[in-house]
Amino acid sequence: MLFYHQLLGELRKLFARPRTWMGYGAFFAMEFLITVVYKLEGSQRLMRGILVRNGLDFGSYYSSLTITFTIMLFSMVLLGSIYFALVAGDIVAKEHEDGNLRLVFSRPISRLRLLVVKYTAVSIYTISFVFFVGVTGYAMAVIAVGWEGGLFVMEPKMKVFAAYPDWSEGAGRLLMAAGGIGLSMLTISSIAFMFSCLKIKPAAATIITLTILFVDMILQGFPFFKPYESFFITWRMSAWVFIMEPNISWPKIIEAYAFLIGLDLSLFTLGWLAFQTRDFKT
Amino acid sequence: MLIATHLHKSFGGKPALHDVSFEVKRGEIYGLLGHNGAGKSTSLGIILGMVMPDSGDVSIDGLSILSHRSQALRKVGAIFEAPAFFDYLSGWENLRILMSYSNGFDAKAARAVVDRVGLSKRIHSKVRTYSHGMRQRLALAQALLPEPEVLLLDEPTDGLDPEGIKWFRDFILNLRDERGLTVLFNSHLLAEVELMCDRVAILREGKRVFEGSVSGLQDDTPMFEVDLEPWGMACGLIHSAGGQVLATGRISLPAGVDPAPLIEACVRSGVKVRAFAPIRRSLEDVYMEILNGAPSPN
Repeated sequence: MLFYHQLLGELRKLFARPRTWMGYGAFFAMEFLITVVYKLEGSQRLMRGILVRNGLDFGSYYSSLTITFTIMLFSMVLLGSIYFALVAGDIVAKEHEDGNLRLVFSRPISRLRLLVVKYTAVSIYTISFVFFVGVTGYAMAVIAVGWEGGLFVMEPKMKVFAAYPDWSEGAGRLLMAAGGIGLSMLTISSIAFMFSCLKIKPAAATIITLTILFVDMILQGFPFFKPYESFFITWRMSAWVFIMEPNISWPKIIEAYAFLIGLDLSLFTLGWLAFQTRDFKT
Repeated sequence: MLIATHLHKSFGGKPALHDVSFEVKRGEIYGLLGHNGAGKSTSLGIILGMVMPDSGDVSIDGLSILSHRSQALRKVGAIFEAPAFFDYLSGWENLRILMSYSNGFDAKAARAVVDRVGLSKRIHSKVRTYSHGMRQRLALAQALLPEPEVLLLDEPTDGLDPEGIKWFRDFILNLRDERGLTVLFNSHLLAEVELMCDRVAILREGKRVFEGSVSGLQDDTPMFEVDLEPWGMACGLIHSAGGQVLATGRISLPAGVDPAPLIEACVRSGVKVRAFAPIRRSLEDVYMEILNGAPSPN
């Protein structure tokens, strides 16, 4: 019960800061832009070409589900990572910088428990943010093109191609994928959280996290690293796309998420060890 | 109630505390004095488990802060100089969050404490709109909410106006009388320490150079302002009586020595005694003597 109150307090702090809401605003604007772009004639022509070349009917797959999938595919890692890194990078380091931790440490809460509360709050923020993007993206797409239609999926990097003519099956896959994206994005938050536990400025925690992420993405694109792509964090984070395959390859998905969850736990442990041995003095 | 034993701490190889020990008895107000960097805040940090000592330990009511920090701190409230609240939240929300880190939030108890510290009208305003004095009152409220037996005060009156300082001092003294609170008062405001503390420890460069009662500290070595002529002959008599010449016209006698025989000897030897008045040394005088390396009274 006390943990629940501590978590509520942490979430209250998190959502009382304007920077937490920046991401929501940015995504809302981006979703609006993507929806507008989808309504443009040129865009529709391009989409029609892709669908027809693959033997699919434009009327069935030019839909709110397809637009939502596109929004989530293209935006979460590139744009979402900024906000996950910002919020998780701030959560410990900013309180240290502002001097709040001195007040907190005059209380009988252990450092481990404090970090567990903060990490849980960051996880809730990360996963709920992904669902927010999915829901608002879908709502905008519905306003633009109506709710009906199937789901068309094409992701060349992960070699996933699928089409679901039935709305309910497409929506179900998209919902499962959102859960997968949430888990994937948690890795970005975990990296930033670990750095936030070190004796560095909150901005440094955010920048180092984004640097690691972007370097991982850049190196992954090098042909030399092709045989080793499964060792890259961002490749593992893209495993959610496998949920879209007609025959879901659960071993591949479980392997990827076991890797990511193991990484998250390791990052938390490293952050905790650094935090536990630090001296907090003015 | 609170015992610090042989505390050692270095930061980057530079010693901050060297074998510091002290004991604060139940119901006592104990002052930790020293210049900036003397080790006062480090001591407080160790007591709260924010700073890990290289060696030594602190126990609160018999519970070690190193091995039972959570249990030990259940009986502790702390107030810092310029307390950093979550200033984007209201005072009330701050109390709610901080109490969730203790034993949970009790709205009724919180209302009573807020009322007592005189913050009822502004408790639902954002802390960023508070004055320094209001922040200190909120700090007092958060420290009192867990119903502590020990209060740790780290320069709590810094930056307050004289009225605020007096209010704060009276509040703490009342609390001690009402609840028998044990208070560790960390300050460099000597006048405040003199008015509030029963005993003090003085830290210099991480070492404890004095510990004793405030009154004892001031009375141990009586000093006198004198006007004696001829001064050279008078000095001889002063030394014969076991006294010390501190400066021209300023002498000290060993504790408990009656000055009357010295005055009598002066008169009998033909030394003119124009003035012979005891000086009540302030805590500041003693503090400066100790910090400047003069022999301390203990």
